[in-house]
Amino acid sequence: MNKRKRTSPTTIAATFGLTVVGFASVAFADASNPPLEALGPPPIPADNPQTPEKIELGKLLYFDSRIGGDASVACSDCHEQKQGWGFNDSLSRGYPGVIHWRNSQTVINSAYLGKLFWTGSAKSLENQAPSAALGVVSGNGERDMVEARLAFIPEYVERFNDVFGDDWPKVNNAWRAIAAFERTLIHNDTPFDRYMRGDSAAMSEQQVRGMALFEGKANCIECHNGPLMTDQKYYNLGIERAEEWFDNGMAQVTFRYEQYVKGTTEELYRIIKDDAGLYYRTKEKADMGKFRTPPLRYTLYTAPYMHAGKFFDFEEVVDFYDEGGGENEFTDGTLASAKTPLLKPLGLTDEEKEDLVAFLEALSGEELRMETPQLPSYAPLPASVN
Amino acid sequence: MKKKTFSIAAIGMVAALGVIIGAPIQAQEFGPVPQADIDAAKAALGKRLFFDPRLSGDAAISCSTCHNPEKGFADGLPLAKAYPGSDGFRNAPTLINASLKAAWFHDGRLGTNLNDVTRESITETYTMNMDMRLMQERIKQDPIYVEMFAAAGYGEPSNGSVRKAIPEYLKTLTSRGSPYDTGLMSDSATRGFELFKGKAGCAECHSGPRFTDDTPHNTGAPENPEIWSNPLRHVTFVSFAKFMGISNYMNLRRDPGASIRTNLVDGSDIGTFMTPSLRELTYTAPYMHNGMIGSLADVVAFYNDGGGEDPNMDARIQPLGLSAEEQADLVAFLEALSGDPLTSDEHVWPDKIDVNYKPIENWLDARN
Repeated sequence: MNKRKRTSPTTIAATFGLTVVGFASVAFADASNPPLEALGPPPIPADNPQTPEKIELGKLLYFDSRIGGDASVACSDCHEQKQGWGFNDSLSRGYPGVIHWRNSQTVINSAYLGKLFWTGSAKSLENQAPSAALGVVSGNGERDMVEARLAFIPEYVERFNDVFGDDWPKVNNAWRAIAAFERTLIHNDTPFDRYMRGDSAAMSEQQVRGMALFEGKANCIECHNGPLMTDQKYYNLGIERAEEWFDNGMAQVTFRYEQYVKGTTEELYRIIKDDAGLYYRTKEKADMGKFRTPPLRYTLYTAPYMHAGKFFDFEEVVDFYDEGGGENEFTDGTLASAKTPLLKPLGLTDEEKEDLVAFLEALSGEELRMETPQLPSYAPLPASVN
Repeated sequence: MKKKTFSIAAIGMVAALGVIIGAPIQAQEFGPVPQADIDAAKAALGKRLFFDPRLSGDAAISCSTCHNPEKGFADGLPLAKAYPGSDGFRNAPTLINASLKAAWFHDGRLGTNLNDVTRESITETYTMNMDMRLMQERIKQDPIYVEMFAAAGYGEPSNGSVRKAIPEYLKTLTSRGSPYDTGLMSDSATRGFELFKGKAGCAECHSGPRFTDDTPHNTGAPENPEIWSNPLRHVTFVSFAKFMGISNYMNLRRDPGASIRTNLVDGSDIGTFMTPSLRELTYTAPYMHNGMIGSLADVVAFYNDGGGEDPNMDARIQPLGLSAEEQADLVAFLEALSGDPLTSDEHVWPDKIDVNYKPIENWLDARN
């Protein structure tokens, strides 16, 4: 009870007993949620300190398609700066000959996340990079080959030696350099951040009203909390399956492939028709359809939204939550999961919805763009004594 | 009388010993390549798979890209192409009669069966770079395959069945109709055959119906400098060498060949390669494991000169002192070992394969 931000309704509820208090606790913002704050600098891991040379190397590698299997796809192809450092289709493009099965997330501010990918399967950027570069439906590269290619690019040999002391570029250091570059893709000077730092003119009145709804009636803060606006926990919101799976044969191929490689049971493989999310990692039925809460900055540039890319603008997202979320394969009880009880119809007025959308827009500042670097070339190795 | 009997027995003993130590093989051991019993439905399935680019990671190349029927199921290049983004460091070998080999790849690194060869070629990073689980799901998306797998008795498409069906198809790629087999060799070729078995010593290694002893030897064939001057080939070599556990791979400028399999401590097996079949050579130039010799005349000249320069070269390779005419006769014989091209519908998937993936209708209700 002492957690309640808005005391009057919950005080009333309290008189009806604990069960009702339990209900009320999800209906209204919980003051125990970490408060919204301006975003500070990202954490830098002690074992991979930032240096300008490492960042420069990581930038080259980020844009270098030789990291991918057939040397045609770089990190930057699914995390494209003109597409919000993500990919503006519902499902990411994926490796040639393949379409991915989830929405590509922006790299912007990924430096703050302790759980990368939609189900948190990587715990650091150093760990995320190889999963993406080597994953069959993403980069489809292979460690020995990537490392061999790097050794035949003299500028890389020199830079890896400079930055890491490698005689020949070590592929694990490539991931470290890419992570260092990604830690420079920071977006913490949004109107919202400036407002929180004391510039009261940085947000409009409408945006300030939207923020109050975000923290209050709309209860977004239940999950989108703290400086990063994510609790990095997993929920099933009742997002419907991706449209592509109905009418795109290549997407159906990838869908089944993912069921296969992620180790579902034979029977589940046969009947499943949606992305079971966290379940693939935990194999707990209760985790079906759960995905990690994404951060909200820079989202002005990263539509469509949700793991399946279902919503194409903020209005659609707000409508979805106003209706109390949706229904999917994992909410009907058949597969022993359920939509998160946190979602309830919000009863927002049209004006309130507009205010919320305005606030969401305040979470994005100027678009982050840079010149694509000139990539160094292959060269033969000098002759050597056998 | 007694003496004579004894001497015949002695000859028999020598002959028996000769077989054991690999001395010249008797002429009757050459002969037509045995034709295998084929399961038509499985082979037909394997044939379609062989020509389908969806079996490679980015769906850009099929088995037939480097094993092209028009080029004798090789590719006509000194060094093979490879998966996009890479280039190869060895010559693409013909697949004709490959089902009869004792070990596969120029270094003989797979000595099991074509099931493994199929798996290796499809999944290896620098050949087809395919995850066979994704391959399986691609195949399941194609109704023609669903039908063909069922007709072949495999049930639903699976990667295990792919590894059976392609070998069944490869079994159909056998030599037939060569002048050597039909008895229609020219006089020159007939003289060449005698040289082959005798003065030229070719039959030391090139014996049996496929004219190979299926073991590795060092002929002193020169290194192909293109491997070391073209980074895309050298990258592939380094990637291979790392995987094979070859030491000092960044400094190595030499193809270790079958030593990766035989691993002799003194290194005397470095640069040995599996004796290739001599069947269908007229379709499969250039020659040697690295395509360094462009014509059969040059191959004969190479051996006439006593092979190349390599400390590990097989001691049996010595200058032969063949006349120009004798060399021409040998070439005529080698040419007589090429038969009918395997380029008709019997061996080539006749239709253009629709590589698009049709969506499964009523997907929601269909079992995956």
